[in-house]
Amino acid sequence: MAPPAAAAPSHSVSRSPVRQPKLEAIQGGAAAGAVNAAPFSLKSWLESGIGTALLGTLSISLVLLSWYLATRYKLDFYVRFGNIPTPMDVWHSILEVNRSTKFLVNIGISVRRVLLGFFGAAVVGVVLGIMIGRYRIFRAMTMPAMELFRPIPAIAWVPMAIMLWPSNEISIVFITFLGAFFPILINTIHGVEEIDDVLFRAAHSLGAKEKDVILYVVIPGALQHIFTGLAVGMGVAWVSLIAAEMISGQFGIGYFTWEAYSLISYPDIALGMITIGVLGLLCSKAINISSKLAMPWMGVAAGARK
Amino acid sequence: MSTQSLAAQSGHIEVRDLNISFKARGETVQAVKSVSLNVQPGEFVSLIGPSGCGKSTLMNAVAGFTKSNSGVLTLDGKRIDGPGSDRGVVFQQYSLFPWMTVRKNVEFGLKMKNISPAQRETQARTLLGLAGLLAFEHHYPSQLSGGMKQRVGIVRALATSPQVLLMDEPFGALDSQTRSVMQEILTNMWQRLRLSVLFITHDIEEAIFLSDRIYVMTARPGRIKAEIKVPLPRPRTPDMMDTPEFATMIRSIKKLIREESLAAMGSELSDGGYGGLSMEIGPEGVAHVL
Repeated sequence: MAPPAAAAPSHSVSRSPVRQPKLEAIQGGAAAGAVNAAPFSLKSWLESGIGTALLGTLSISLVLLSWYLATRYKLDFYVRFGNIPTPMDVWHSILEVNRSTKFLVNIGISVRRVLLGFFGAAVVGVVLGIMIGRYRIFRAMTMPAMELFRPIPAIAWVPMAIMLWPSNEISIVFITFLGAFFPILINTIHGVEEIDDVLFRAAHSLGAKEKDVILYVVIPGALQHIFTGLAVGMGVAWVSLIAAEMISGQFGIGYFTWEAYSLISYPDIALGMITIGVLGLLCSKAINISSKLAMPWMGVAAGARK
Repeated sequence: MSTQSLAAQSGHIEVRDLNISFKARGETVQAVKSVSLNVQPGEFVSLIGPSGCGKSTLMNAVAGFTKSNSGVLTLDGKRIDGPGSDRGVVFQQYSLFPWMTVRKNVEFGLKMKNISPAQRETQARTLLGLAGLLAFEHHYPSQLSGGMKQRVGIVRALATSPQVLLMDEPFGALDSQTRSVMQEILTNMWQRLRLSVLFITHDIEEAIFLSDRIYVMTARPGRIKAEIKVPLPRPRTPDMMDTPEFATMIRSIKKLIREESLAAMGSELSDGGYGGLSMEIGPEGVAHVL
């Protein structure tokens, strides 16, 4: 193996200076540039860290600028910007709310509700999903009931939840749970069903018992879909939480936002929205990172590294 | 590897009057019909036949994945009634666990036997070293080529020191160059380990090159049409494939298979009525061709 491997590079090196000009002549400047990767390639610049950061900053700046211009000049073309706070108003309101702990407490309460609801849904959804995906009898017994409840949006549960649960707090967590539950359940079931049958046969032929099959084949095999479910579930959990807080809440960032509207403190509405956006983003990032940590085998194939 | 050479006395597969049928779209299909065959301890036996002839079904029954309707199916005199690590299986599709590294895949069977992690590691690394895969022990299957995946698959099946290796068209998905290299690797490994192998293929040259004996199966319902002894000496080398002997054997098996493939196609064309064309089939049971 050694001689041809050593010969190959020298071969190509000696050849390229002779060939390259011809190629350039045929393909034209831009294509030749891409081949040589020499002066400037938009693709490789985009793939570099600086390019991404620069374009990202530009994109956010454009949003802020349009927001500023629209509110500064009180734009009115069917969409009315008359009462919309300017970015500066919101900045002042950030400084304002941070004088007391009230705002942070609201955030803390919302985060706690989301996490309780979400983790509850994750545990119940994944366990049920694996059972339903793996055992036909269990599926036949539970799926009809699940399908009955699935089309009901979590928010539609608000009045019922208030009646069902002893405290307002638990009913909000329950609604958040419901929002996250179905996406996690459905994706887990799908993930278990997608596992190639040959892997089960391989495991059995290597002496695996049912417990081992669940542990080493079903769970890792479904993990990719489970994480899809968790990501979607987290999104729906926030939607459900904010709606529940706005309707029935005391405290929480959804409540804060709605209260700001009632109290005509418009900058706080924008602040609430931005806060919700940032929290949602952080949560989805957290899931993204944990999925990468949990599945080190994903994206390692040659050329698939991201 | 000393346990392997001791185990050469075991690994005797006996199949007698085996019938397997299954239901497909409400109809009962007989996949395997009164098949009798055997694999002696330490023998390399191939099962060859037209596609859809039930050879995979037969292997699945030996592996314990499929239940038979009637007949006898034993390994060393013990009835086979489920999969187990006494029979290593190499599948046609890549069957490595994508979430385990190469070494963890190889260790899996040992882990199921509750062997200590340190011992698992030593054994897995020894086997991977023999197969020339030690440099890839920390790779995931998705990082390997098709040939390497199948080599890991074979190593994994051998890790638990089974008495029998069942291989279901293991090189079917590989390109022809990789395929012939894999055949050489396999025959060398078998030469060293001397365990019983039941090898399913539709590649005649592959069957001759690897086997001590070849069973030719009929079109569905699969029956044994012929049993052929391969007189080539051991150890086998690729240049044996260029001998006139080899060519003669290919021709005679090709003829047998061709008849069956025609019968199979005829049965499809005439909507299941294979009676007419399969009349060519010789005496019931085993015919010695050579």
